[in-house]
Amino acid sequence: MSPAIETHELCRSFAGVAAVDGLTLDARPGEVLALLGPNGAGKTTTVRLLDGVLRPDRGWSRVLGADPAVDGDAVRRRTGVLTEAAGLDDRLSGVENLVLPARVRGIDEATATRRAHELLGRLGVAALAERAVRGASTGERKRIALARALLHEPEVLFLDEPTSGLDPVAARDVVELLATLAGEHGRTVVLCTHHLAEAGRLAHRVAVLDRGRLLAFGRPADLAAELWPGVEADLDLGGAAAPATLAALRSVRGVLDVALTVDGARVRVEGRDVLPAVVAALVAVEVPVYGAVTRAPSLEDVYFALHSQAVPAVPPPAAGVPRAPSSPAEPRT
Amino acid sequence: MTGRAPAVDRAAVRALLRRDLVAVRRSKAVVIPMLIVPVLLLVVLPLLIGLGARGAPAPDLTRFLDSLPGDLAAPIAGLPSHEQLVVLVLGYLLAPLFLIVPLMVSSVLAADAFAGEKERRTMETLLHLPVRDRDLFLAKLLGAFLPAVAISWLGFLAFAVVANTVAWPVLGRIFVPTPMWLVMILWVGPAVAALGLGVMVRVSARARTTQEANQLGGAVVLPLIFLAVGQSSGLLLVTLPVALGVGAGLWAIAVLLLGRGARRFTRDRLAASV
Ligand SMILES: Nc1ncnc2c1ncn2[C@@H]1O[C@H](COP(=O)(O)OP(=O)(O)OP(=O)(O)O)[C@@H](O)[C@H]1O
Ligand SMILES: [Mg+2]
Repeated sequence: MSPAIETHELCRSFAGVAAVDGLTLDARPGEVLALLGPNGAGKTTTVRLLDGVLRPDRGWSRVLGADPAVDGDAVRRRTGVLTEAAGLDDRLSGVENLVLPARVRGIDEATATRRAHELLGRLGVAALAERAVRGASTGERKRIALARALLHEPEVLFLDEPTSGLDPVAARDVVELLATLAGEHGRTVVLCTHHLAEAGRLAHRVAVLDRGRLLAFGRPADLAAELWPGVEADLDLGGAAAPATLAALRSVRGVLDVALTVDGARVRVEGRDVLPAVVAALVAVEVPVYGAVTRAPSLEDVYFALHSQAVPAVPPPAAGVPRAPSSPAEPRT
Repeated sequence: MTGRAPAVDRAAVRALLRRDLVAVRRSKAVVIPMLIVPVLLLVVLPLLIGLGARGAPAPDLTRFLDSLPGDLAAPIAGLPSHEQLVVLVLGYLLAPLFLIVPLMVSSVLAADAFAGEKERRTMETLLHLPVRDRDLFLAKLLGAFLPAVAISWLGFLAFAVVANTVAWPVLGRIFVPTPMWLVMILWVGPAVAALGLGVMVRVSARARTTQEANQLGGAVVLPLIFLAVGQSSGLLLVTLPVALGVGAGLWAIAVLLLGRGARRFTRDRLAASV
């Protein structure tokens, strides 16, 4: 299946400073791809490049088979964008903010109005349908803008920080909503965010960006496997492990790493089948084991590990020296 | 692809135009000056002047008319002396003042359409629509130009009614539109609207807010207003051929400015400046 979105060595700079620098990635039809990265990583610029609003300095991209730099209108007819700033006209009502752009897209007035009411209702902002949006809250604006991005039933949806500025409850609502929307009609979604939980919840694959460069790209589990070999497990020992216990753990064959936690220890082992030996070793030294649970590294672990690689501590590592990934197994304070 | 420019997407332009007009009608800061200025200039002022000129004892205008360029004075000098003042003021001197209306309406609307879009942070939404840069630009131009011409023509209609009514007791006939007025509304007025537009398009590319655009634009537009005021107060006198020529010159400058504006109005440039 040909990708819905594909970029190759995409570059764009502003006044000599690279905003997107050699970006190569793709998204399959129906996939949710998260662009993760700190402020200024190049997420918004990437969306603008993919929608043909900005032109690349170098490299190319294809969205639904068309090159946005060449045939932007063909791309934009089939995409919907929730921009970072909702971009609503305060003087217009919720429905007008949806219907007027829909008219530009060639949707007739009656259909546009009907869909606008439906969507605003579904997104929980029906109260703003007939009222000027001046004074609407950030969350309400996001929802109206999201409705606008969806009204023409785009095949590709770009969501630039859909939950920024929302309170936790509103953010969760929007994420749940996106989870259902993303699956609909095999729609491809590009989600820009710095909320890792949101990306973890919604995205099939993540692209981690930093200062315009792609740090990593793939499924969160694959990225974690690349960063950290083996399996991690939390051992509940009823209290922080004693030094002797830690030593006993280290002596087990197949244990890669051991770290202290508040209620016991965290071990990294070569594979799941090492765990029984770990438990046996503890029993042998008469340490009670209340639980042993394998733990998949979270997207958060991956993200922080990647960023600590990308922003090396001074002095920077010499070229050629392999960078040691910081282990998520270190005890948290 | 052929070398010819693709046809204008009329439906999209119409939809964009409608969006701007619907929004702008709700904007007090835009609507109020657009109503007050034409009413003051084209209804209140001619009413006062007309009543004043009618009530005053007929002054001797021969000396004044002698000082005017021949073809300006000719149609007036031939009139009975009690008619001269009213016809001179309402039929000729006031005509250039009328130009302030299309100039102001088009620049206020253009500032809202270009700089205002940036200020409200709604420009990016437009850039993500499937419309060609050129069609978007065209829609924004028409959104300022058409109302400017429409309002100035409506204003002129109101003026014609007021002027003919107040002058009726003196003249007993309809005297507006004079040829000078026709040149102003049909030729110079639209040119001035286009010029205001051209200036504001240029200025809005730099300005961050509507207010800033209006200030910058005002610096360019104000001298033109002074010229118009100068003419109407008799300091500066424009004859018909001069008015036609001035109109042509204004059109040329406007077309030049708008052409440059169109070339600079690209998505990439706009997106990079939002
Ligand atoms: N129009 C522009 N003019 C100048 N610099 C720009 C422009 N757009 C982006 N940049 C720069 O490019 C870099 C990437 O910006 P971008 O907005 O794509 O980041 P982002 O990942 O979306 O950040 P955020 O999370 O803050 O939204 C930043 O350093 C930014 O300052
Ligand atoms: Mg951004």
